[in-house]
Amino acid sequence: MIGWLHPGFILIIGALFVPLFKGKWKQAYLIIPPLAALIDVILMYTGVFGEIPFSSWHLPFLGYDLVFGRVDKLSFLFALAFSLASVPVMIYSLHVKSSSEHMCQLVYAGSALGVVFAGDLITLYFFWEIMSVASMLVIWHGATENAHSAGFRYIMWHIAGGIILLAGIVIYIASTGSITFDAIGWNSGSTYLAAMLIFLGFIINAGVPPLHAWLPDAYPESTVTGSVYLSIFTTKSAVYVLARGFTGFGPLMWLGAIMVIYPIFYAVLENNLRRVLSYSLINQVGFMLCGIGMGTALSLNGATSHAFAHIIYKSLLFMSVGSVLFRTGTAKITDLGGLYKTMPLTTIFCLVGAASISAFPLFSGFVTKAMVVQASAFGGLAIVYVLLQLASAGVFEHAGIKVPFFTFFGQDSGLRVKDPPLNMLFGMGIMAFLCIFIGLYPYPLYQLLPYPVDFDAYTAPHVIESLQLLLFASFAFFLLITSGIYPPEGRTISLDTDWPLRLAGGKFIWFVKGPLTSFSNWMDGNVKRIAADFSLLGGEKEERVFIGVSVMLALLFLAFYLIVELLYQWIFS
Amino acid sequence: MKVDLLLAVLAILGIIGYVFLFLGTAEPRHRHGNLFLTIVAFSLIIMVMAGLFVQWPAEFAWQEVTAFYAIFGFSAFTFLIYAAKGLRLWLSKDEDYYKKKGV
Repeated sequence: MIGWLHPGFILIIGALFVPLFKGKWKQAYLIIPPLAALIDVILMYTGVFGEIPFSSWHLPFLGYDLVFGRVDKLSFLFALAFSLASVPVMIYSLHVKSSSEHMCQLVYAGSALGVVFAGDLITLYFFWEIMSVASMLVIWHGATENAHSAGFRYIMWHIAGGIILLAGIVIYIASTGSITFDAIGWNSGSTYLAAMLIFLGFIINAGVPPLHAWLPDAYPESTVTGSVYLSIFTTKSAVYVLARGFTGFGPLMWLGAIMVIYPIFYAVLENNLRRVLSYSLINQVGFMLCGIGMGTALSLNGATSHAFAHIIYKSLLFMSVGSVLFRTGTAKITDLGGLYKTMPLTTIFCLVGAASISAFPLFSGFVTKAMVVQASAFGGLAIVYVLLQLASAGVFEHAGIKVPFFTFFGQDSGLRVKDPPLNMLFGMGIMAFLCIFIGLYPYPLYQLLPYPVDFDAYTAPHVIESLQLLLFASFAFFLLITSGIYPPEGRTISLDTDWPLRLAGGKFIWFVKGPLTSFSNWMDGNVKRIAADFSLLGGEKEERVFIGVSVMLALLFLAFYLIVELLYQWIFS
Repeated sequence: MKVDLLLAVLAILGIIGYVFLFLGTAEPRHRHGNLFLTIVAFSLIIMVMAGLFVQWPAEFAWQEVTAFYAIFGFSAFTFLIYAAKGLRLWLSKDEDYYKKKGV
């Protein structure tokens, strides 16, 4: 054994060689890094006879020991989910010719693995920021005006989140003297502030309302394959760090409960399928955060296994909608419908994803979400329980019914497009297989969970409860749509919490371009005029102007300093 | 084992009901359209009947109510749609809303 090889580095270094290959060779090469990373992660598991080896990469930095590779049950589970999903997603995107797109996506996936294995806060921050930038580039590959501006808005959210996280980390290290990333205490003094800042940085990446607006804004604007990558890594790495640092943190449970409810209304209203799925993503992450916030063994098992299952079925849903976008050029419900006749395989894959996310028995979502819901019942948390069940009906509405029905069934759009190319079908096929496999046979997944699992999802009350809820919800849908009450889709967008920010941002740019620029031009004119008066001093004209400007700048700084000093004295005395 | 098999049959019936509801709703004039919806109705009835034979856990009082989850699913869905219809008046804007605002 040559020691421990970081799977994230396999992807990141693998990305560097992508441009060297062309055509078939490139397709053959592209599959190697994700496959190697997956094998690397799996070997970590079987290496020491069922025990998970704790081996680390240490690197001294500013007198601290950086830990790049902390492998325990929690990080292993997320790393396995990330690397397992990367392979079918890569197969799905093999037809993409752009090297830079593949490179950004691989670096993005690699940095997410870096976050998962990071054993200390500095390493965590390092990969956290790479992930932000790489995902912004993934969005920009959408190569439309919308993608461009959404990418800018995206990175503004994440830079803000990153700075908050960094501030938290610095205060944390200063007050505890330790950089180890583990459960973060929030009890006293400066640690409290640090913990809150770190928490805020984490939940921005998790997309907790009202700090979620970047997600439905940017994810639908990327390329067909880019959206699939985006749906996997950023939010789930945030779930991982929250599970690591803030298990049992009460407010997190309530944030999760709000998070499952808030987006379901938006998902009903949205016309863009990829945006519907983005809202759905927020809702699903809510289940995970709720489970982490409850902090019992069952709820944590539920949260982490739900993250695992979610990565697979959500990327499957993004893939199937991506296939429709790939063939028809649109992902808007108003332009789609009746595709099941000509896209039978995509329809089936989409339905598998839809059944999984809706938690139909025999599909993956059922065996994982049940744990979170059950944990709330065991805890006697009636309100949380009802909210989670309401959200389950909501998920079924948008992801179980709206996405497949209006795309593949519904009003016939007259579009007659074929199933996507073989590689895309193959990628979706693997994901669909995994959804059904986990649903039918969850025990391998249960064994990987952080705590021993004493839970069986397939009990009579559980199965019948889910089936009653789902089938009668779909019966309600039938009645509402045949009676014309179900609101028809329009070519609309829905205003979200970024509305004031975007309007204020627009006003700010107007202010800079208009009044501020005029003012600065006017001031420039004044400066030049006054500077010219220094001609009395003699010398070359340029010299005089230079001296004049310097004197005035110096005066300006002095005046500024004086004002600040006076204000400071006035406020703090 | 017998219970497991029964549950599996129920789950498969559920999936069939789910898919046939789509087909039946999308193709009301299909020559098997009525058959599709009959299957859906059959699956609904079976689910309620199955619920009558189950020993429900008693974590919350409402689990005692007959077919509670069927009623819950139906009303939650209806509530959601009506709520969204209301919110639409307030939140939904034209597609190029932000573009028109110049942001």
